[in-house]
Amino acid sequence: MKKIYLYIGLGILLGGSSCSEKDLLDTVPSTSISDANAFGSATRILGLVNGAYDAVKGASLYGGRYLLYCDVRGEEFINVTANSYTAYESWNNSYNSGSNDINNLWSQAYTAINNANIIIAGLAGSTGVIPDTLNAQYTAEAKYIRALCYFSLVTVYATPYNADQGASKGLPLRLQAETDDSNNDLARSTVAEVYAQILADLDAAEANLPDSYSSDLLNTTRAHKSTAIALKTRVYLTMSNWTKVVEEAAKIVPQTTAPFSTTSYGVKHALQSDITTLFGTTYTTTESIFSMPMTSTDSYSGQSAIGYIYNANSEYYLNPSGILGSAQWGSSDKRRSLLRVASNLYYLKKYAKASPYVDYIPVIRYSEVLLNYAEAAAQTGNLALAANLLKAVHARSDAGYTFADGDVATAAALVSTIAVERRIELLGEGFRSGDLLRNLQTIPAKGSSSLQANAVEPSASNYIFPAPNNELTTNKLY
Amino acid sequence: MKQIVSALLLLSLYLGAAAQSRRVSGKVTAGDNDSPIPGVSVKATGKAIGVQTDAQGHFTIEVPEGVTSLEFTYIGYQKITVPISGNTVNAKLESTTSGLNEVVVVGYGTQTKREFTGAAARISGAIVKDAPVQSFDQALAGRAAGVSIASPNGVLNNPPVIRIRGVNSISLSSYPLVVIDGIPVNTGNISTSTSVPNNPLSDIDPADIESIDVLKDAASTSIYGSRAAAGVLLITTRRGKEGKAKVVYDAWGSLTKAARLPKLLDATGYMKYKNEAVYNAKVLGGNENNSSVASALFFPEYNADGSLVNTNWYDYIYRTAYSQNHNISVSGGNKTTNYYLSANYSNQQGFVVDNEFKRKSLRFNVDHEVTKWFKIRAGGAYNTTFNQSQNTGSLPNSTFLLIGAARLATALAPNVPVYNADGSYNLSATGTLGMGNNLVTNTLWNAKALFDLSSYTTENDRFQGNVGGTIKLPYHFELNTTYAMDRLRTENDTWLSSQLGSSGYSVGGSATNVSALRNNWDWASTLSFNNKYRKHHVTALLGYDIQKFETTSWGAYATVAADNFFTNYEGSYSTVAASGNSKSQKAFISYFSRITYDFSNKYFLTANFRRDGNSALGANSKFGNFGGVSAGWVVSEEGFYKHLNISHIVDNVKLRASWGRVGNGNVTNDYASQSLYSASLYGSAATWYLSQAGNPNLAWETSKQTNLGMDVALLNNRIQVEGTWFNNDVNGLILSAPQSASKGIPDNAILMNVGSMYNRGWELGVTASVIRKENFSWDASFNYTHINNKVTALAAGNSDIIGYTHTSSEASNVTRVGYSVGSLYGAKTDGVNPENGRRIFINKAGEKVQYSATVGSGESNWTYLNGTTASAISASDYYLLGNALPKWYGGLSNNFRYKNFDLGVNITYAGGNYVMNGTKATLRDQRFYNNYTDISKRWTTVGQVTDIPRLVYNDQISNGSSYPISANVEKGDFLRLQSVTLGYRVPSKVFGTSGITSARVYASGNNLFLLTGYTGTDPESSSNGNSNTTPGIEKNAVGQGRTFTVGINVGF
Repeated sequence: MKKIYLYIGLGILLGGSSCSEKDLLDTVPSTSISDANAFGSATRILGLVNGAYDAVKGASLYGGRYLLYCDVRGEEFINVTANSYTAYESWNNSYNSGSNDINNLWSQAYTAINNANIIIAGLAGSTGVIPDTLNAQYTAEAKYIRALCYFSLVTVYATPYNADQGASKGLPLRLQAETDDSNNDLARSTVAEVYAQILADLDAAEANLPDSYSSDLLNTTRAHKSTAIALKTRVYLTMSNWTKVVEEAAKIVPQTTAPFSTTSYGVKHALQSDITTLFGTTYTTTESIFSMPMTSTDSYSGQSAIGYIYNANSEYYLNPSGILGSAQWGSSDKRRSLLRVASNLYYLKKYAKASPYVDYIPVIRYSEVLLNYAEAAAQTGNLALAANLLKAVHARSDAGYTFADGDVATAAALVSTIAVERRIELLGEGFRSGDLLRNLQTIPAKGSSSLQANAVEPSASNYIFPAPNNELTTNKLY
Repeated sequence: MKQIVSALLLLSLYLGAAAQSRRVSGKVTAGDNDSPIPGVSVKATGKAIGVQTDAQGHFTIEVPEGVTSLEFTYIGYQKITVPISGNTVNAKLESTTSGLNEVVVVGYGTQTKREFTGAAARISGAIVKDAPVQSFDQALAGRAAGVSIASPNGVLNNPPVIRIRGVNSISLSSYPLVVIDGIPVNTGNISTSTSVPNNPLSDIDPADIESIDVLKDAASTSIYGSRAAAGVLLITTRRGKEGKAKVVYDAWGSLTKAARLPKLLDATGYMKYKNEAVYNAKVLGGNENNSSVASALFFPEYNADGSLVNTNWYDYIYRTAYSQNHNISVSGGNKTTNYYLSANYSNQQGFVVDNEFKRKSLRFNVDHEVTKWFKIRAGGAYNTTFNQSQNTGSLPNSTFLLIGAARLATALAPNVPVYNADGSYNLSATGTLGMGNNLVTNTLWNAKALFDLSSYTTENDRFQGNVGGTIKLPYHFELNTTYAMDRLRTENDTWLSSQLGSSGYSVGGSATNVSALRNNWDWASTLSFNNKYRKHHVTALLGYDIQKFETTSWGAYATVAADNFFTNYEGSYSTVAASGNSKSQKAFISYFSRITYDFSNKYFLTANFRRDGNSALGANSKFGNFGGVSAGWVVSEEGFYKHLNISHIVDNVKLRASWGRVGNGNVTNDYASQSLYSASLYGSAATWYLSQAGNPNLAWETSKQTNLGMDVALLNNRIQVEGTWFNNDVNGLILSAPQSASKGIPDNAILMNVGSMYNRGWELGVTASVIRKENFSWDASFNYTHINNKVTALAAGNSDIIGYTHTSSEASNVTRVGYSVGSLYGAKTDGVNPENGRRIFINKAGEKVQYSATVGSGESNWTYLNGTTASAISASDYYLLGNALPKWYGGLSNNFRYKNFDLGVNITYAGGNYVMNGTKATLRDQRFYNNYTDISKRWTTVGQVTDIPRLVYNDQISNGSSYPISANVEKGDFLRLQSVTLGYRVPSKVFGTSGITSARVYASGNNLFLLTGYTGTDPESSSNGNSNTTPGIEKNAVGQGRTFTVGINVGF
């Protein structure tokens, strides 16, 4: 009898143990996967590649706000809200290491870089899951992403290359996947070293990227050969390496007279007859070499959406003494229809869709490549080609406009005219401050009766963005 | 066996009757309230003759010759022996909840207070039963030493801020583990909305609670091992007692009003001070003679009858709230079966318009002795609770929302009407409050329209049940097993109308429903041993406990309503997207043991050990070992003591000491240790990306706690004093260790065990029966806790942890080595410059700089006092502005009884801390916001000494609106009259044969007054709720209400 009690007792007590410790404690989430399984299938690997592009599309980066920062630093826009959540500090160049813009942009770009590094590391050998050719292609896409992000960072956080041929301290050059708490400390490489890495990555990308993809959408939102080449024209232009700009541009702009279009590769990049179709109608034409896709389920809203800031909430209007008043920007110019007027103030409406803000954000357009090429051609003495390229871009929107001879007669005049054309053509696409900085020009003063932003000399400390606190406090070697 | 006992009993009765006997009768009543106690066992001393009292407490017993006294015993009361004199013997039983024989519920068992050697406090259920609260935890303020409970705001059903012996973690919760009838339950706020809170503890009907035991030191809590670093609240629900069925009906009704609202400017004052600010800005901008710059922007509006529009927004945001609560229970039982059944209905209103709480609940507990060796017990409770509130800006992460009711109440312009003349809402083109004749743009909503056009609710459906059994084994062993389940479904609904005036207007109206299921089960089994051998008493316990939490949440967000007719998600909308999806599970496995030994009721030893596994921790460190030892010595039991003179005064002296090591692994993320990839979209393409960098070595936070105490009883146990010193060293604090941003790790952080801190202090509890006479008694109890918190190490480089209030621009707190957790943080100020009325700040170099929101062209807003340009104050200039954690706190409760009247007075107090009165910044805001009447003290003339700077329109810095400033830091010391209750017990003769055995009516007031130098609404306010790193911030939150209650308790 007593023994029975004991057995019953022990039975109940131990009954609990029948649930295995392992089953209970080794829980795994059902809505995310562990690092061990991330490269487990072809779909997941493709998902990782798209994930790296999506990091590039972060709100602080090419989701739109990077363009905003780079534009409003220049002289084209006047801020009305003095709201630090909508790039006011970029506008009046008053940011410090603690500013949101400074920290968020840095983090987002390096997140994309780490995502790319994770792919590069994960695909370093054959996976057994995807063919080696696809392996090489994905690695090339990751390198393209890494190059784009480093270029986006080095042009705003580091002394311009042209100031000292890249001798200044640049960025911590992270080239390996980071997934644990080691390696917090990493010294900065020089600007020249960062540029060298960017170009090495782009050359490698060009070698292994496909000529084209299966759809216009993929051709616009994922990198193919021409994408890497187009970006190289921008990088070399920033380094004032005109010969290389010409060399790269010629690959995708083989003609010397209009019409210009890519012939050697799968995607026939060319200017569209009406620039306004690119903004709001057809986001995936051959003119859009690389853009950030937006859908109603994957887009930004409120202060994360530049369409909200520029247009819906009217927080910036065009500076009457900026490019708006340029004689080169005629009243019949089609590009003026990308502006709207309210109370005599002009607002940008390149991103005009109301909530949800599904306008694609352009990163590289064919017209930029033509202007890059034009500038390099002018600098290298090929004035005819330079003029042809310039006119192709201008005439597309204002066919009736004729450049005065003085505007195109000399290399210097051409360079200056092309610079103006860039301001018109690429307004609101994130080029203005980059163009000022690569030419070591002063950021002009601007303002309204209520808000003023002072001029910033190239020698001033706020000519470039300060390093963010979230790097300074953790990276002792910075 | 049973037959033999019965036979013997019958025999003795017969023998008794045969001898000379007499009849004695009397009545047994409870000592504390004179109510009759049915079912008391009355026995002739030394004989086997016994009877029980009837429902009115009466008994009659035949007493044999030679018996000189009667023994009275009843569960929960001290046994007493009363000499027989005459034929009537009345007895008063004192409840055992006093003195060393008081029962203390400890983890997986009970001990008497004499045996107990740790640190714990017991709070009777009677204290929470009649309180006008939503959840029992709100009613515990000031009731136990070492336990600090504060209401963060006046919105119904907010989780209170509970700290048992201080803040015990930085990243993890400092909320104690709450165990209800053996099962640890979910705590905190489970609402998904920042508008309406939902404290799942409100699912427990406070009237169902028999007792709340608070375990404070490691020796007591370590049986709960890893779960117990912040202390444990053990809730025991009521169960039936042997005796005739007892029916109790309790009801109360109350009214609540807002208390201590700031006095605001009326329309005339508003226009006067705003226009003064506008004019000052014009002058300071060098535009005094510039006619194109306005001199005034605020102008009156008149009603149809010609009177000035003068809106008091308080009338539309606050109200007198009425609440009612009803509870009925039936309990009883016989020798083998006891039962308890109760039902509750509660319908409460908050003093902010639209704030409601409703609960319906049923509970059933049963105990049954199947055989002499086998008992089973079961219980279950089902309830629904409903919470509704507009956004008040009072909950964490809502401080700066433009829809926050508390800010709207103070900031909305009083010189514009709520409605237009045609009865429509007064609105601007974007749906904010129309500004009438004022020439400024308003970003704040018309509170009336906003409230009418939106709703936020969260509703629980919950079943909690348990079943268990006890088997008595030979050799003094006993086996216990309990399975408990807790299934909680919550639906959170938000609706914002598509009409102008709603905050959902810009998206065409929206509705969000999120449904969450929290499924939680626990199976605990123990084998215990309990034996006395001569003077040796040994108990031992061996146990096993598994608990699993599964949480699933899913929902949808719909926008663009097809018609403004729709007021819920079920209506028709153009776009629908997933919202609030999550799925996770977490498990704990624990093995534990406890051995207690006492010798001769003098020397006590307890040792316990627990090994815990926690699924959320790293693969390499899921298990942790915890335990504690404690010892007690009842000095007064020693022979030598009894010869000391002092023993005539001091009846009982007990010394106790304990040491233990407990853990904390309550990471909020169930998969916190793992490296994870999550899926998203790139346009329309599926993506995977690194979403969390894990740490396979993530381990328990551990605290080593030392506890030294003394319990003393004086003057025949009339005064009891408990004093305890404690030291709690917490190591391996789990912190989000910052990673270099260039590594691209998600959130630039990985959870790691770094950092340490301590809590040291002492607590004192005194309970006294000051006066105890037939018709009058006075019982008082006082407790005091002194505590010192200090952080001794943090993550790499000991860098500060900055705490933010809602937005990253409001860096309001800092956790810094050498200071207490979450100290106040912000820009340091040094008054107002009497020369020019500018706010003076102290920069990081210690230099004085002054600020003017408007300056002429070419001048700088920031200057040194000599006028030269200075750098603007930024986050790098911030100082630590004071400790935010109270250094001392406690309570004083007095209970008086005069004849049938009883009076309870409960006072709470706390202090030694500083509070950021951020609301003051709003009350002085120089935008279009209304101000409080104190704004009249602003600087106006050279030489004037004041703390309110010169009014300059759009100045957001001088008064602390842009970032926290030290001018708004105030001492938080206070003393609150928490509650006063006056009750009257209706004499039982009134009831006649109605069947009513007792009735009491009472009236009470809560939060009747607050004695404090703090000028904000309430020094206990916490805009960040229970957060460890951001305490002591009051900003744009509603304070606590003042409540008057009348109630009745009836027994049948």
